[in-house]
Amino acid sequence: MTTKGRGVSWSRSYKWYLFLAPVLLGILLFMVYPVVESFRLSFMKSNGFTESWRGLRNYEIVLTNSLFWKSVWNTFYITFFNILLVIPIAFILASVINSMRYGKNLVKGTFFVSYITPTIAATTVFLFVFHPQGIANQLIGLLGLGPVSWLTRPVTAQWSVILYAVWKNLGFNMIIFIANLQTVPSELYEAAAIDGSNSVQSWRYITIPQMGSAIVLLTIMGWIGGLQRFSDVYIFGNGTAGSPERALYTMVTFIYDRGFGSFEFGVAAAAAYILFVIIILFTLISRKVGRAGAARL
Amino acid sequence: MGERIRSTGHGSASSCERRQSLRERRKRHMHLAILAVMVVLGILFVLPFIWMVIVTFEGQANIIPPVPPKYYIENPSLFNLKIVTENGQLLTSYINSFFVAVCSVALNLFSVLMGGYALSKGRFRGKGVILMVILSTMMIPFETRMIPMFTMFNAVGAINTFWPIILPTVVDGFGVLMAQQYYDELPGELRESAAIDGAGEARTFFGIYLPIAGPLVSTLAILTFLTSWNNFLWPLVVLTRQELRTIPLFISSFSMENSMRYMGTTMAVAFMAIIPVMIVYLFLQKYIIQSVATSGIKG
Repeated sequence: MTTKGRGVSWSRSYKWYLFLAPVLLGILLFMVYPVVESFRLSFMKSNGFTESWRGLRNYEIVLTNSLFWKSVWNTFYITFFNILLVIPIAFILASVINSMRYGKNLVKGTFFVSYITPTIAATTVFLFVFHPQGIANQLIGLLGLGPVSWLTRPVTAQWSVILYAVWKNLGFNMIIFIANLQTVPSELYEAAAIDGSNSVQSWRYITIPQMGSAIVLLTIMGWIGGLQRFSDVYIFGNGTAGSPERALYTMVTFIYDRGFGSFEFGVAAAAAYILFVIIILFTLISRKVGRAGAARL
Repeated sequence: MGERIRSTGHGSASSCERRQSLRERRKRHMHLAILAVMVVLGILFVLPFIWMVIVTFEGQANIIPPVPPKYYIENPSLFNLKIVTENGQLLTSYINSFFVAVCSVALNLFSVLMGGYALSKGRFRGKGVILMVILSTMMIPFETRMIPMFTMFNAVGAINTFWPIILPTVVDGFGVLMAQQYYDELPGELRESAAIDGAGEARTFFGIYLPIAGPLVSTLAILTFLTSWNNFLWPLVVLTRQELRTIPLFISSFSMENSMRYMGTTMAVAFMAIIPVMIVYLFLQKYIIQSVATSGIKG
């Protein structure tokens, strides 16, 4: 059914364009125009009412701004450690759940709950989890650690976001792993069992290599989502302040702040374009590295 | 002789059975132990929610901060919930969020099903190019488009209306892709028989292919609804009037004004936002998990 329409007359094609009209019109208005206009704006000095040509000055302003580089560092730091933690934890969790005989759906459903919880509501609850006397300190207190002043010091505030994000994304990562675990052909396990390998060995040598594509997918999605971080740091960091000491000031906070805080549309558009380029680069790099890494596993 | 063979056979089978049942019992114990460990971990995982419920119903929580967390209610009361629902702002936000989500789902389904159907069953010029354009929209982050989207909607006076939030859901590359794949798996004979009956393209689509898209519709609807209910950045930009706030906007402003001072009411607001989602989740858990899993596998 994926026949190309080459040679089909225009008069027979038009009704199909009507079917596609809503989505194509939407793309024109909400994708093509904004992307082009954003590019144009990135060379202008503009506040939405008056504008003048500024050339590459906006990019210079962004790239020489220490707060922008701080936001880049914060965004990368939080995302890197979030992905580094959440993928292995989710994979182990998924492996256990997949092998469970009793209560599988109950446990799966429980760990998935955080994913469907609205971010703003969940972060509000986590403000109290990271309260000086909240759940986080209560739990590490049981291990004889802490107390940690989570949200009041820069590095611990970033780790609060990382831990929250691990909690929030665990369910999604787990579901993807479970779905992929179920596609591993059972003959592989049977053959391994005949060869006398135990369940840990077959997990290491059969299951993990089969997870390559899932890991690549989750890494890419993790980076794309992480680079667009805004809502959770907005609540944890007292709005666009990114408190404490701008430790929770992310790239999107920068764009929002310059766009709708000080109405420097040109500067915001330039920063948004830099983010755009980084996201596309990351998608490509993750794909390449992921493919090479998956081959090695 | 026949008797003996049978009895030997029976004897060895029973010892084998015994060994097997022993192994089976040990296995069952192991599985029960795993379940026990996972239940404990699961409770730790949802502990923030458990605490949220406790603080919400703790009458003194606004006066005496309920820390370190206690896992029982000392003064059961509806006080916190009464405070946050009293002035009706929360209810207004609920209605706003619900309205936006339902409209988004309807518009999204309309565009995605028609587009996916055309890309699957249609024969027309430029099909490959159109598909590529639709798919490439998935790579463009919202933040890059945000400023021009604002100026555009501002120019037509649509800031502080729900239009800027609802209309863009018409573009959904992932949804179109899913619809196309769904229709690819349906036989084309349905179309042929409809054509014999003299039905036009529109009637074939609305009469035959739309009604059988049930599973696809529920998946897409769930995903779009969740996204819409969770949406924060764009509503924060385009909705500045208090009576238009959606649930995330309501909570964020409430929590920034009150959080550390009034733990009871702030938790009650979070409770009010989370509980309905949880109730829906309780009933639709299977479908929601399935939808999200497909989104990961195919995306």
